[in-house]
Amino acid sequence: MKHRIQKKMYHVEILPPKQDTEKLEADLELFAEKYNRVMESVYCASITDNAMGNLAFQGTEIIEELGLEVNPEQVMIHLNTFHTKQDLHNILDICKSRGIKYLLIISGDGSDRLPRLQPSDVQVKGVVESVTSVELLKYIKDEYPDTFVLGAAFNPYEPPEHEFEKLQRKLKAGASFIITQPIIKKNDIVDELLEKYPDVPVIIEAWMSKKIHLLSDAVGYEIPEDTQFDPIETLKMLHKIYPACGVYLSLLGFKTQYHLIKETWI
Amino acid sequence: MKIVVCIKQVPATSEAKIDPETKRIVREGLKAIMNPFDIYAVEEGIQLRDKFGGEVIVLSMGPEKALLSLREAISLGADRAILLSDKAFGGSDTWATSYTLAKAIDKIGDVDLVICGKQAIDGDTAQVGPGIAAHLDWVQATYVMRVEDADSKSIKVKRMHEDGYDICEMDFPAVITVLKDINIPRVPTLKGCLASLKIEIPVWTHADIGAAIEKIGLDGSPTRVVKTAPPPPRNIITQRIEGSPQDCARQLVRELRIRSIL
Repeated sequence: MKHRIQKKMYHVEILPPKQDTEKLEADLELFAEKYNRVMESVYCASITDNAMGNLAFQGTEIIEELGLEVNPEQVMIHLNTFHTKQDLHNILDICKSRGIKYLLIISGDGSDRLPRLQPSDVQVKGVVESVTSVELLKYIKDEYPDTFVLGAAFNPYEPPEHEFEKLQRKLKAGASFIITQPIIKKNDIVDELLEKYPDVPVIIEAWMSKKIHLLSDAVGYEIPEDTQFDPIETLKMLHKIYPACGVYLSLLGFKTQYHLIKETWI
Repeated sequence: MKIVVCIKQVPATSEAKIDPETKRIVREGLKAIMNPFDIYAVEEGIQLRDKFGGEVIVLSMGPEKALLSLREAISLGADRAILLSDKAFGGSDTWATSYTLAKAIDKIGDVDLVICGKQAIDGDTAQVGPGIAAHLDWVQATYVMRVEDADSKSIKVKRMHEDGYDICEMDFPAVITVLKDINIPRVPTLKGCLASLKIEIPVWTHADIGAAIEKIGLDGSPTRVVKTAPPPPRNIITQRIEGSPQDCARQLVRELRIRSIL
């Protein structure tokens, strides 16, 4: 993962088409267009898993169905705990057969329509009421040894003591890289993270939407709706502050921003 | 086992508005989805077919837009679908709707089992499933939470009611309405969704199913909605408890005890 940072490789978030789309074929075409553009740029396509609990198609099934080319270094699949055991294994088996090795394991957001993994599904013993990313990380590591490079999420806006303790469990369970929540300025907790884990690759999330107020819930304080925000300038600033970190670009505008990001690495 | 699953397309939001003139839901501009309870009915139909063989036919009455929900059911694994769409069906209440669906089931022929969701989230009547059974003069079990057993001639189900559970054994043909507890519905696959786009779904009118014109639509509906109003807003009072954590906890327990919650 470190080599990606050295190679100035962005992790570009791509959202698969939603299940309730009324223009599935057009949405698939757009997905393929974005995916191929990321491949051509030699960045990494980071494909979400039912983001925000919205039912969407799986990145793996789209890659299969559309016959998209996979360069193992350029694809990352997000995987959360809202699956049946059978679906989970389907996804992992496709990843394995297509050579997709980077997985970001998160607890995820559920909805009424999404089944959740049960402790017995991931062979958890003892009193565990629900499966989190920790149990899922351990399960994948045990079931698919030496197959995947697993990542975990880190939220610098949660109480730090709790978040660091959780991160320690994720790393122990099998995570070998970290992706943060969106960072919009220098963040003391991220600094502490880098200091505590100098050998673990850290990828910071850059918020690429101009609608910065949408981050209010994530950061835990109110950002007024009329706040002016320049994502590209913020991205440049983040590179200066965190030169040793990779960057995950969320909600990147492919029409308006994609051509600008090449110049943002220092 | 020949299974018909009846589904309804409903507005996606609980904030649907009521037309003051017609007393009906204003559907324009609202996103439409398959009635959430019906997804469990489709899943149960597919599971029974996978276990006992046969086919699952999904049936819906509604405008052409309802084809989307029928395609969704096919993407989940149903074998085929039929839409009942005709201006003459407009204004149907639950009695006329269940008559229309029963006529279509009759036309499909040799049906062993009809499965409906327990109710639709827009009307909340829970009457259409029982209405279909009444029109067909078939046995029925409502609020089914588990299929205990089945074979080619009968089905044994566990149904829930206010005082507990019933275990019902019914010979086919039969109608059941199902609860959310009955299964965990699968999520459609991309392959299934793409395949569903290519399937031709027949659209039947009242003439196709031989429905008597006086028994369908507004004319066939004995229900008259006289008045519709939203429920009164809840009067919620927020009480803030301040002090040290120990004092707050003590005060919280006291308040809960006063209200007989603890």
